[in-house]
Amino acid sequence: MAVGDPSVVAHDVHVRYRTYGGKRNALRPPEENALNRVLGRATSHVGAVNEVHAVRGISFVAHEGDSVGVIGRNGSGKSTLLRAVAGLVPIASGQVYARGNIALLGVNAALMSSLTGARNVMLGCLAQGMTRREAREAYDGIVDLAGIGDFVNLPMKTYSSGMAARLRFAISSATTPDVLVIDEALATGDAEFRERSAERVQEIREEAGTVFIVSHSLSSVTSMCNRAIWVEEGAVRADGDPKEIGAMYTEFVAQRRKDKGGR
Amino acid sequence: MTSGPAAAEPTDAAAAEALARQYGLSRVDLVPTFRAYVRELWTRRAFISELAVANAYSRNQNNYLGQLWATLNPLMLAGSYFLIFGLLLKTDRGVDNFIGFLTIGIFMFSFIAASVTAGAKSITGNQNLIRALRFPRASLPIAVTMAEILTLLPALGVLMVLLPLTGEPIRVDWLLIPVAVVLLFAFCAGAGMLAARLVSASRDMLNLIPVTVRLLRYVSGVFFSIEAYAGHGWISAVLQYQPVSVYLNLMRGLLLVEDEQNPLLWVFGAVWAVVFLVAGSLLFWRAEQHYGRG
Repeated sequence: MAVGDPSVVAHDVHVRYRTYGGKRNALRPPEENALNRVLGRATSHVGAVNEVHAVRGISFVAHEGDSVGVIGRNGSGKSTLLRAVAGLVPIASGQVYARGNIALLGVNAALMSSLTGARNVMLGCLAQGMTRREAREAYDGIVDLAGIGDFVNLPMKTYSSGMAARLRFAISSATTPDVLVIDEALATGDAEFRERSAERVQEIREEAGTVFIVSHSLSSVTSMCNRAIWVEEGAVRADGDPKEIGAMYTEFVAQRRKDKGGR
Repeated sequence: MTSGPAAAEPTDAAAAEALARQYGLSRVDLVPTFRAYVRELWTRRAFISELAVANAYSRNQNNYLGQLWATLNPLMLAGSYFLIFGLLLKTDRGVDNFIGFLTIGIFMFSFIAASVTAGAKSITGNQNLIRALRFPRASLPIAVTMAEILTLLPALGVLMVLLPLTGEPIRVDWLLIPVAVVLLFAFCAGAGMLAARLVSASRDMLNLIPVTVRLLRYVSGVFFSIEAYAGHGWISAVLQYQPVSVYLNLMRGLLLVEDEQNPLLWVFGAVWAVVFLVAGSLLFWRAEQHYGRG
């Protein structure tokens, strides 16, 4: 596929976020000094706020019609990076530039799980900036695409993870975003759903949109993406052709496992 | 290690900005001007009201009687005051219709307390929503205030049915109730945005809210008349014209015959509403980019 104009420019992006309820200094190495260790233990239940430096200086340029797969181990900073690209979490330093509307489709994008699917459809459409009339017009199409039948009138917490994923996907595809970020959201669906979502991703790319896919599944990255970025410990390890990067990543994971086994 | 992507990557911040400008890209974390922000909020008004309805509805959906509780709860509450102060204890504390005075005070005060408390939690409690969708974040505190208004309306309905039973005539003044509710909404939305901003800056603030609410309960004349107790000095004036007692007495002036309509209360009601709404939204807007931080 021919590559179009740049649609997302990220330069030296750093993201830090706060976690509450752990222990103080939970992420620092233990104190060497015995006195400090005792003091640290005594006060570890006060000020138990930790800052996680999740993304440490990532730069890339994505283009119209690009489908970029982001791979990496759990906790490597993939999801945080893409939330920062979508403007949903604040950037500590660096810049992200993008065009127009950005949609993020995530695993826990359930708007309100105590509400029915029908209400979530309305809320999701309105939050994306549709008018009430547009939302009502889009409603039937969304419920149809999700294929959840009468369950649409039950609270979303009663849905299976696959059903919830289908509904979320249908809600997000109601509008055609300039940039679509899919965060693990395709993993829980069945074969039919995966096929349908791959079709939708293709459509968005053809309409000059840019798609980012976060996934652990190398096969879905190699089949749906024309570029892969491998993120490790908050930094880009490698960037390029999905097959090459996928091979490097597989080798890395195998090597790690061997190292652990040998210890 | 890096095998070259399709276009040259900018090497410094200036080059990145130049590239972005060349292709008409803008920063994703750009905060709109205050005017643009308010306009954006206005275009999302359907989202805000849908969120408010959903929020109010979901409170009463886990039982058989469901939405009937929205009316039954204030009815039972008013019934219990009627029982205690109308039949068991004969205290009036300088007020003719003490049951009416107390019920209005409690209903209005619980509304204000609940909406400020819910507003304070609206950012920290909705991180899933904030980290999934892009919308002006002020939608959240405004929607919870609106949800509280939706729970207040059945309570006001109950009051209008019960007050004639305590001997209050039905009067033309009741037509002004919607105006008072609008002022109350503006005040509570502003206070909710202020509280949400404080709590998201430091979650420890959340622990100060119950104390503040308790203090306000005792200085706002919820169950006694400030005038009858504090006299006419400047302390009494401060207590009477602080926002919470202003709105309580505004409502009493509308609903009870003995409380005369005080034009000064309306002036203060309007001023507090504007001050809190403007200050709250300005302060909230300034931190717009930081609400996803947790």
